[in-house]
Amino acid sequence: MKRLYLPLLMIALFYSDNLFVTIFPEAAFDGKYMIIPRFFTIGLLFMAVFFDRNTAIKYGFLFGFLFDIFYTGVLGAYMFFLPFVVYVVSKLVKVLQNNLFILSFIFLFGVALLELIMFQLNVLIERTEIDLAQFVSVRLGPTLLLNLIFYLLFSFPLKSAFEKLQRIYND
Amino acid sequence: MPQFFTNKRLIVLLGSIIVLVALIGFSLRDRENLSWPEQFVKDIVGLGQAVVSKPANGFAGFFDEVKDLRNTYEENKELKARIEKTAQLESDVARLQKDNQELRKVLDKKKSLADYEPVQATVIARNPDRWFDVITIDQGEATGIEPDMAVITAEGLIGKVKSTSKFTSTVQLLSAHDSRNRVSAVIQGKNNVYGVIEGYDKEKKTLLMTKIPYDSKVKKGMLVTTSGKGGVFPKGLIIGKIKKMVPDEFGLTQTALIEPAASFNDLEHVMVAKRSMTTVRAEKEERKQVLIEEGNL
Repeated sequence: MKRLYLPLLMIALFYSDNLFVTIFPEAAFDGKYMIIPRFFTIGLLFMAVFFDRNTAIKYGFLFGFLFDIFYTGVLGAYMFFLPFVVYVVSKLVKVLQNNLFILSFIFLFGVALLELIMFQLNVLIERTEIDLAQFVSVRLGPTLLLNLIFYLLFSFPLKSAFEKLQRIYND
Repeated sequence: MPQFFTNKRLIVLLGSIIVLVALIGFSLRDRENLSWPEQFVKDIVGLGQAVVSKPANGFAGFFDEVKDLRNTYEENKELKARIEKTAQLESDVARLQKDNQELRKVLDKKKSLADYEPVQATVIARNPDRWFDVITIDQGEATGIEPDMAVITAEGLIGKVKSTSKFTSTVQLLSAHDSRNRVSAVIQGKNNVYGVIEGYDKEKKTLLMTKIPYDSKVKKGMLVTTSGKGGVFPKGLIIGKIKKMVPDEFGLTQTALIEPAASFNDLEHVMVAKRSMTTVRAEKEERKQVLIEEGNL
């Protein structure tokens, strides 16, 4: 039974992105900034580091697929690039130390990488026409700030949750 | 430093890039509606989404209500001033409506382009990555919603239905960047001026209406509504007000900047307008036939 906690946690994180968008007023700061929650991505990266990388890649694939179908309508984008970011980040974590302070930089790098890939992809399929400078000031900065705040608040609970889950799965 | 990509991984990477490109190409194709696996997944995710978002909407609504409470006094004053005019307006509308119906009966013309049947819907999700402005509503094919129907709020037009599944539909907002997103519109004045709404300026927050004749006299503040001539949307849905007129790059026509009447932010309750009059959207087979005929020419 306790094994069910892992999918439940990931489902909660999956919906939390949209929950944030629903509750947070879009007209905040005069609507000048686009603040994108990437809570699920951060949860996935925690899973890759503290639970198991290959499971995280599978979850990224599955939930990325759901994300594509339900929200964006561009099949394949998150399905492919979420596992990709997980892979890159887990390689970086192996090279660098994995205490929570350094991890915050690596994870934010992962989020920035995902944002950048999605930006390029959306430019490519002509769904946006903002340029790189606008992207950095309007989207990337505020998004990283929000996700840093999320990291500061939830890094300890997420870390301990995944470590506990690992013990449950190892038994 | 460990080796980043081994041979096997390289093959997996290349294989998935091919799949990625194929999938993106598939989803961007000009298709009528979603395939059934997509619809199925959408319904399942939508169910969970509705469970999550309804209490969240209530929670967000609480803060709005507190904000509203602070402005109550001023609003009340303004509304009282307006209410006197409303009674007169109401009786006028009732009289005109009756007139209109009688005249239509005389002409033996029962349906009009302006008739539509509204379907109430609640917004259950908004695209969290916000690259493309789409929202998901909790009504679908089960209540008769089809792709390309107009979606409105009490203030005015906000977008059109992009795709549907059994119990949810995806609505593409007017603010989404899509070169195929066009609305046939009319500027109401002494002489109606027709044009096409072709885009949205995110920085100025205005809609762009193009192909307005260069000699038409359009003033700031004139009302813009849908014309019903596009064949899909009903006539007379409010889009917004003229903010500014600018000549286009060749000087042959004018472009109007329109301030949208409805806000595209923080949507909660919307209506889908089912047009009563037949739409021009041809059946699949008919369309194919037209293509074949064109090919022969």
